[in-house]
Amino acid sequence: MTSILEFIARLAVWLLLAPLLPGIINKVKAWVAGRRGPPVLQLYYDLARLWRKGVVLSTLASPGFIAGPAVAWVAVLAAAMLLPLGPLGASLSFRGDVILLIYLLALARFCTAWAALETGSAFEGMGAAREVSYAVLAEAAVITAVLTLSMQSGSLVLSAMLAPSAGTGAVLLAVGLFIVLLAENCRVPFDDPNTHLELTMIHEVMVLDHSGPPFAAVLHGAAMKLLLFSILLVQAVLPVGKLPAAAAAGALVAGVLGVTVGIGFVESLLARAAFRRVPLLLTTAFLLCLFALLVAWKGGAA
Amino acid sequence: MTMDGLMVFAVLVLVAAALSGAWLPRWWLALTLAGTAALLGAAFWTLGGGAEWDWRSGFALGGERLHLRLDAISAWFLALVAVVGGAGAVYAREYWPDRERPESAGRGRGWWSTIVLCMGLVLLCANGLHFLMAWEAFALSAYFLITLERERSQTRAAGWLYLAASHAGTLGLFAFFSLLAARTGSWELGPMRDHPELAPLFWVALFGFGVKAGMFPLHIWLPSAHANAPSHVSAIMSGVAIKMGLYGLIRFSGWLPVPAGAGWVVLTLGAVSAVLGGAFALAQNDLKRLLAYCSVENMGVTLIGLGVGLLGAANGDTAWGRVAMAGALLHVWNHGLFKSLLFFGAGSVLHTTGTREMSRMGGLWRTMPWTAGLFAFGSVAISALPPLNGFVSEWLIYLGLFDAAASHAQVAAVIVPATIALGVTGALALAAFAKAAAVVFLGASRTQAAEHAHECGWWMRGPMLGLAAACTFIALGSVAVWPAIQQPLGAWNPAWRGGEAPAPLAMLGAVQAALAALVAGAVVVLWSRARTNGVRRAMTWDCGYAAPTARMQYTGGSFSALAVGWFAWVLQPQRQLRWPRGPFPRRADHVERIPETVLERVIGPVSDVVMVASSWVRQRQQGHLPDYILYLVAGLAAMGALVVFGNM
Repeated sequence: MTSILEFIARLAVWLLLAPLLPGIINKVKAWVAGRRGPPVLQLYYDLARLWRKGVVLSTLASPGFIAGPAVAWVAVLAAAMLLPLGPLGASLSFRGDVILLIYLLALARFCTAWAALETGSAFEGMGAAREVSYAVLAEAAVITAVLTLSMQSGSLVLSAMLAPSAGTGAVLLAVGLFIVLLAENCRVPFDDPNTHLELTMIHEVMVLDHSGPPFAAVLHGAAMKLLLFSILLVQAVLPVGKLPAAAAAGALVAGVLGVTVGIGFVESLLARAAFRRVPLLLTTAFLLCLFALLVAWKGGAA
Repeated sequence: MTMDGLMVFAVLVLVAAALSGAWLPRWWLALTLAGTAALLGAAFWTLGGGAEWDWRSGFALGGERLHLRLDAISAWFLALVAVVGGAGAVYAREYWPDRERPESAGRGRGWWSTIVLCMGLVLLCANGLHFLMAWEAFALSAYFLITLERERSQTRAAGWLYLAASHAGTLGLFAFFSLLAARTGSWELGPMRDHPELAPLFWVALFGFGVKAGMFPLHIWLPSAHANAPSHVSAIMSGVAIKMGLYGLIRFSGWLPVPAGAGWVVLTLGAVSAVLGGAFALAQNDLKRLLAYCSVENMGVTLIGLGVGLLGAANGDTAWGRVAMAGALLHVWNHGLFKSLLFFGAGSVLHTTGTREMSRMGGLWRTMPWTAGLFAFGSVAISALPPLNGFVSEWLIYLGLFDAAASHAQVAAVIVPATIALGVTGALALAAFAKAAAVVFLGASRTQAAEHAHECGWWMRGPMLGLAAACTFIALGSVAVWPAIQQPLGAWNPAWRGGEAPAPLAMLGAVQAALAALVAGAVVVLWSRARTNGVRRAMTWDCGYAAPTARMQYTGGSFSALAVGWFAWVLQPQRQLRWPRGPFPRRADHVERIPETVLERVIGPVSDVVMVASSWVRQRQQGHLPDYILYLVAGLAAMGALVVFGNM
């Protein structure tokens, strides 16, 4: 009984807290720019409104157009349930769960790209092509980061891998994972979440034709993915598992807030990178993770 | 005793099917299905823990007594032969019928039963000489199946290339088996792990079987053969026939001792095949060529598992080697199932549109919803996405790789790059199949043919549904498959006999099932919510542009252009671009072609040199008697010089 209650509480954390992050980022951006900015809870209002709205479907779209966002949302949520929440641990934990997490995110990517290509729009095709292509580089960085953590901890269970800090290579890993976070969550300098309509967009342009409840699923899924990557980053770098429960919870929350505010600052201070720079940035992230891996490898051998 | 009966029945029935194929289509189908069912029964009997079947006959062929043997490794592959052989036979009834192909349908049926029989014999032969005979018969029947549509010159060229490459591989196998027979003094095959002097033969076998398995860079024959063959033939070639190469590698790396570097080399070749196969697949614009290159990629993934298995066996039979090897074995089944499904789907598209060019398709889901759905299913499975079966086998291989890397052993130097390569391969496969499924089935129809496409009938749909059901079973019930995987695992390396399933396998199955249920639930909820709120149909919102046409869609070529650019060093795309010029431009076009780099840039030039040298030699042969006398004298003089000066 308690386990069911705990599971529901955990689900609620993910479902209810996730939309807070984009609100915080927007507040930070507004503050830096000297504006008042939208309320922190703006995404909640948007989601509630979208859930009640009707849907406009492209004449070309198949049922997969609505199934795509649904499957992607479930995939991100399932990946989130695998991720330990500091002192609470994960709701489900087994050897190799980290691989499942990576591939669940890949499933979400496949479904988003699928839905984008349903419409036959050149814009959305462009976005989908970029999304799946850049994912090749991002995947290399993520696998390397996971390999680092697994070598460091000698384990393949997320909760054990994320418990200690990443050791000497922590800074390298932190920067590498932060770049991947920005790329995977369509933030500046890879993408501009303020607009859907630019020729150089990657992720945002894929959701042009969604509306109503499916669009709510897309937005909510994106917010959950951002929270997921933030928590992953914080736990990979900070020794959350080694602290007492209260301190660990505090560290986790502070860390996620720090990452969120950091994204806000990055977005305020940086312009979007020139399009041809994107592979370079992702390769840099991969190399950083690779150096962290080498550090972990040598550290373990010594 | 029952096994004897079952085997005799299967062989007799398949021989009867091969003979009746040309004239009695109904009988042929019944006989082929009965034969494959018997093979499947025998395979499952062995995999279910039944004893090894060993049968010796007094009858001698080529001076050697017949000796057949069905152990777990053979049975593992035999099951795949039976399933795809049966499914393809049903599929061919509608796909390659007499009324549409009066000239080749009968031949096709006969050769179909022959190839199923010959592959079965390859798996059963326990005598080197007979293995070679069965291997050759199998290779030849594949040739006749590939060239069923021999009036097309492309098909003939593909068949010729296949035949040449296949025989180059067979040459390696001749060397392998005769060296083996010379060193052991007998053609008999069996476990000979206590003869360390046999280890170097592994390299010869790696070449011979590697050609058949489509291992990079020996894959040159594979894309054109799989693309130009009829689709049910492509399915059995890609799903089963290339697995025979893998069978050879697994069989003889289990029976014979392997050299120290075997694991390193196989792992490296696997990683290279996986990444480059994925890159080539993504670059293709011909649907069946894309699927063919994807086979190279999946063979690479399997070889990664085999390589880790070899490393594990060489490093004290570690647990990580066992898990990865189990993953490789399961991937053999998985790939056989979903690749056949995808080729059947491609055949269904080809059957109605008459083209393999993806840029001439689009929007096919409207007229062919079954094919579209099944192709999408296969795409998710082959991209190794949860909750389907491709993920289970890749997950096992990942487990082995990660554990090997964490062991901090020396092997990590090759394990780490291979792990990263596997991750990149996954992303490339996802991109390739997002492209294939979307460009073919989604969006607006690009041509008239695509607009007036029609769905295939139940004879073609049924086999696809059956294969999809098998994939689903492995995806959700992987823990039930584990006891069967354990049999070939124990036969390959006796140290790994018995033992539990890796603990989380049951958990993974449960998670996959829960995920499937959740996905279905979420789709229903979102659909019904959209319905209640009201759904309105409108034109795709193309940023305010009011008259979009089908030609404005992103094409397959533009979809993959970005990633192809990164791999341009190996893909070497050839572009012909004519810009629109002047105020009233006439023609402007852009043609892009991805050559088969190894064939056209390496083997092509080398064979050109050989051709030039040969034609120069031919000019010296004019039939003039004095010339020949001169050659003879010169030759004798050279030999005499050799004798005189060689002794000094």
